[in-house]
Amino acid sequence: MHSLRLIAAFIRASAQQDLAYRANFWISLLHSLLNLGVGLLGLQVIFSQVSDLRGWSLNEAKVLLGVFLVASALRSLFIAPSLEALVGLGQEVWSGNFDFTLLKPVPTQFLVTFRQWRLFALVDLGFGMGVLVLAAGETARDASSALVFAGQAASFLAAMTAGLVTLYAILLAFTALVFWSPGYLFTWVFDAIFQLARYPISIYPSWLRYLLTWLVPVGAMVSIPAQILTGKAGLATLAASLLLASGFLVGASALFSRALWRYSSASS
Amino acid sequence: MERLNFRGGTALIASTWMSWMQYRSFFFILAFGWMVPPLVSLFVWLAATAGEPIGGYTAGEFVSYYLTLVLVNQITYSQANWTMGDVIREGSLNFWLTKPMPAIWNLISSEAAGKTVTLVFVFPVVVILALFLRPELDSSFLHAVLALTGLALAWALRFLWGYWLALLAFWSSRADALLAVQDALVFVFSGILAPVALLPGNLERLARTLPFHYMVGFPVEILVRGPDTSEIAAGFATQLSWLAVALALSFILWRLGLRRYSAVGG
Repeated sequence: MHSLRLIAAFIRASAQQDLAYRANFWISLLHSLLNLGVGLLGLQVIFSQVSDLRGWSLNEAKVLLGVFLVASALRSLFIAPSLEALVGLGQEVWSGNFDFTLLKPVPTQFLVTFRQWRLFALVDLGFGMGVLVLAAGETARDASSALVFAGQAASFLAAMTAGLVTLYAILLAFTALVFWSPGYLFTWVFDAIFQLARYPISIYPSWLRYLLTWLVPVGAMVSIPAQILTGKAGLATLAASLLLASGFLVGASALFSRALWRYSSASS
Repeated sequence: MERLNFRGGTALIASTWMSWMQYRSFFFILAFGWMVPPLVSLFVWLAATAGEPIGGYTAGEFVSYYLTLVLVNQITYSQANWTMGDVIREGSLNFWLTKPMPAIWNLISSEAAGKTVTLVFVFPVVVILALFLRPELDSSFLHAVLALTGLALAWALRFLWGYWLALLAFWSSRADALLAVQDALVFVFSGILAPVALLPGNLERLARTLPFHYMVGFPVEILVRGPDTSEIAAGFATQLSWLAVALALSFILWRLGLRRYSAVGG
């Protein structure tokens, strides 16, 4: 209860900051529309040449794009801005202001995860959900029975949650690495790798697929929910993704608390 | 017109390069980020071919098309234009204006330095990928020369095109939003999403008319596809016309902008 009240306070504070720069709204809207448009157009172009991409139809690829957009919107809603405030260029770990964060009477990992919100990402979230729901509606029409589809949708929600937990864990782990090497922009590296998740993981050569499943599982966290919703994968895959998510969450939290021990402030 | 001061210019290039090499890991990460979109497209098209050529491209030709494109995209991408917008907005343009050489030297030096620093990273990566992915390249000496000419013009076009967009910062502090639109248009129309020959009918015609294809995809197509001379000539004509437009706009906007510019005080 206490944590929920804190999160509400963080959201309020971020909203007040954002509202001070109202002109940014239109610019951000432009960026979001471009992102959505380029994603959909890309699929149109590919599927104007082929009708099947390693077993994925146009509609199934749209489901996957929807999952990707939702995941990246949630990431930029609070995970990315919060962690960025910790390890971005010239941010807390760099400047030594992390001292003040450590001193607050709240668990540090909770604080660094939830404190900054970028509420505009809700618009991106809406676009992503729109793509996902429209494409899923198409899938539902093709499903053999309503009951089968309801089952797929329920497993999808579980798999999507697992995917988001994995995403958070990876970002937390990348953030923790900065304590060992402050100059490195691990989050930028992650941004680049995350772009690989726009398309089904099955299009990549096997070595890359392996990396995207086990080392930086962005492929797993986007492809698996889409596979489950479109009936390409079943309960075994769901169980595996839940296991993967809990493993990564435990591992990343351990790495992060290990990293906190390395922090020695900044000398003047 | 001011004197061009080449000695000052080359000294500036050398010193910018030296200072940027100190931050090479930063530039390697930037370069890595720019490489990913074309490489993702490459894997998408490789998966789509499944043994049969698409729109005349075999798997091996897709590999040589996209590996060349990664290099071309790296060479022509002009991060200097983001700098130009920032410099105008923040008023640090004052420092550039007080130096005894045209202000554009500062951009050209960061172009030259940025390019060489990122290529130190990108070139070996492309070579390694080429060893694994087996490109097919069957090009003539003439086509290679024409492609290099196209590449030089593509760089000039992309640089000047971004430059005139950045100069709009003299009038609006939000002009950098246009550079993001520009990046999206380049992604779709230049040949990064797909070789323009694979775009559906109207989009292909649009791509061959707009300037973006001539910033990236055009020299790559000359090298990899070896089109006939009339097609290449038409391409160069379009490229040069857009270059003339960009040059004129840059010149006019710089003149008008400087007159308006009143520096943000610090």
